[in-house]
Amino acid sequence: MIEPLVIGAVAYTPNVVPIWGGLRDYFAGSDAPIDFVLFSNYARQVDTLLAGHIDIAWNTNLAYVRTVRHTGGTCRALAMRDTDTTFSTVFVGRAGSGMSGPASLKGKRLALGSADSAHAAILPLHYLRVAGVDDADLQLIRFDTDIGKHGDTGASELDAIGAVLAGEADAAAIGISTWESIGRDELMPGALEEVWQTEQYCHCMFTALGTLPRERWQPWVTTLFAMDWARPEHRRILELEGLRRWVPPRLDGYRTLFGAVAEQGIDASW
Amino acid sequence: MVILDLVRAVGALGAGQTAEVAAVPPELDTIRRWCEQTGNTLVRTAFDQSGRGHVVVRRGRVPDPHLTLGPDRVPGARLWLYTNFHCNLRCDYCCVASSPCAPHRELGAERIARLVAEAADCGVSEVFLTGGEPFLLPDIDRIVRDCASRLPTTLLTNGMLFRGPRLAALLAMPRDGFALQISLDSATPQLHDAHRGSGSWAKAVSGIELALAAGFRVRVAATIAEYRPNTVHALHTFLDDLGIPRADQIIRPVARQGAATSGVLITRESLVPEITVTADGIYWHPVAATDARLLVRRETEPLRPALDQIHRLFTEEWTRTQTEFALFPCA
Repeated sequence: MIEPLVIGAVAYTPNVVPIWGGLRDYFAGSDAPIDFVLFSNYARQVDTLLAGHIDIAWNTNLAYVRTVRHTGGTCRALAMRDTDTTFSTVFVGRAGSGMSGPASLKGKRLALGSADSAHAAILPLHYLRVAGVDDADLQLIRFDTDIGKHGDTGASELDAIGAVLAGEADAAAIGISTWESIGRDELMPGALEEVWQTEQYCHCMFTALGTLPRERWQPWVTTLFAMDWARPEHRRILELEGLRRWVPPRLDGYRTLFGAVAEQGIDASW
Repeated sequence: MVILDLVRAVGALGAGQTAEVAAVPPELDTIRRWCEQTGNTLVRTAFDQSGRGHVVVRRGRVPDPHLTLGPDRVPGARLWLYTNFHCNLRCDYCCVASSPCAPHRELGAERIARLVAEAADCGVSEVFLTGGEPFLLPDIDRIVRDCASRLPTTLLTNGMLFRGPRLAALLAMPRDGFALQISLDSATPQLHDAHRGSGSWAKAVSGIELALAAGFRVRVAATIAEYRPNTVHALHTFLDDLGIPRADQIIRPVARQGAATSGVLITRESLVPEITVTADGIYWHPVAATDARLLVRRETEPLRPALDQIHRLFTEEWTRTQTEFALFPCA
């Protein structure tokens, strides 16, 4: 009998249970059976991975960066969603605000999501700095609504958008997935418009310690990549998890986050 | 802003759960478009005369019944035919109140052959012949051969009449694409005989053994009034020893239908339809084949209109039950 790989994931939505129950069923009988453990926050999940109590962690980009830093780069990136490879941050303002491009945000009130959200807090400030807009040029309004979840719930971004709509902020930094979930500027005509969108970067990543033997992780990755959108029983899980197919790691998509974490002195325990 | 309310409310739901979100009628088009774009389902709207109200939205799409039920259980996959209603037994839980005194109400071999031929053309994949006791019909072997030549067929029987001409009829039935489903409620006579008549258990067991020895696939179905783990376990063990595979050991509850004065209450909403033809009409499900509330059409032929009607009603019912019974008001 093959010892199951233990996967860690953070329970940021009730759907995490059917997702991982479905994945456990999918992997059952393969060369890489799994079990899973759910955490309430990414800090605990990364600590548990580092302690060797789980084999693989389903990490956000910040949790991946933290794992890399704690392991001196010896951890192993295994797989990600296709949608993780094209993530970006969108700055949105009230329609007709006249703002366009990063420079137009100078002197404005910018609403950010939870401080541990790479896409709604850390990277927005990084990209603005790169574009010549320093923190001092902005009045930052933070919504630390789902600290610990690295912005996964999207709740803090909705609060940031709400602040813009209420006239309490001039712009909000939100993930592209949240922008799409509210229908971009199509479903609320006259309400919001895009001010600026960052370049693409990568988001979530399955991460293992470098000590996990290849014969343990390789069959698991092979089986994971065999999930097929065209098969209804697979599609149900893929839809819930927000992807069409699993893809190999693209490590260059994390370079900016490594830089942002160092530059902003992000808490090493997040 | 209703979109934000939707994202917040529906985003916090598990798949299949529903939420109420306050809305006004002019927002309905936006809500519909949001649901379409995000893969969620607008279940219901409720507005009062002043235009205030709410919408109910389901997280995700309504599941495909083919995936949930399996291809062999979706409406239209199975055709049940009540060959007759008279029976040599008078079981106290019989869902159609069959007995020696019940009017025969036979479908007849010719009509059965036509129905099965049309069913095959309509995509039905499996036929079940039931009654009454079908072995009381002198031409049951012909009926079975006609059915099995077109579709996989199962014949439900109490297994007690395999003697003389009826044994000859049994032995003349095909072995391929055909199964017998014999009723046996317990591993010992007491419980079975209490419902079905003294001495019936021993005859049923003999019938099972005879049919197995003759090379038939035999399913065994138990109807139980009260689930008792030890009783069920003993029955499984008994059937294992007879050589009945677990997949062919069926345990089902008593339905409060026909002669039964207690048991599971049956409504159209609680039954996934399995089109059922009797001499009296076409019904929603075999367990309610004398229940006027579940009569679909009085005309038994052609089959297609009833199939279409059942499919339409089921689709409506499926959407409703998959949403409303997960209602979770949160706004």
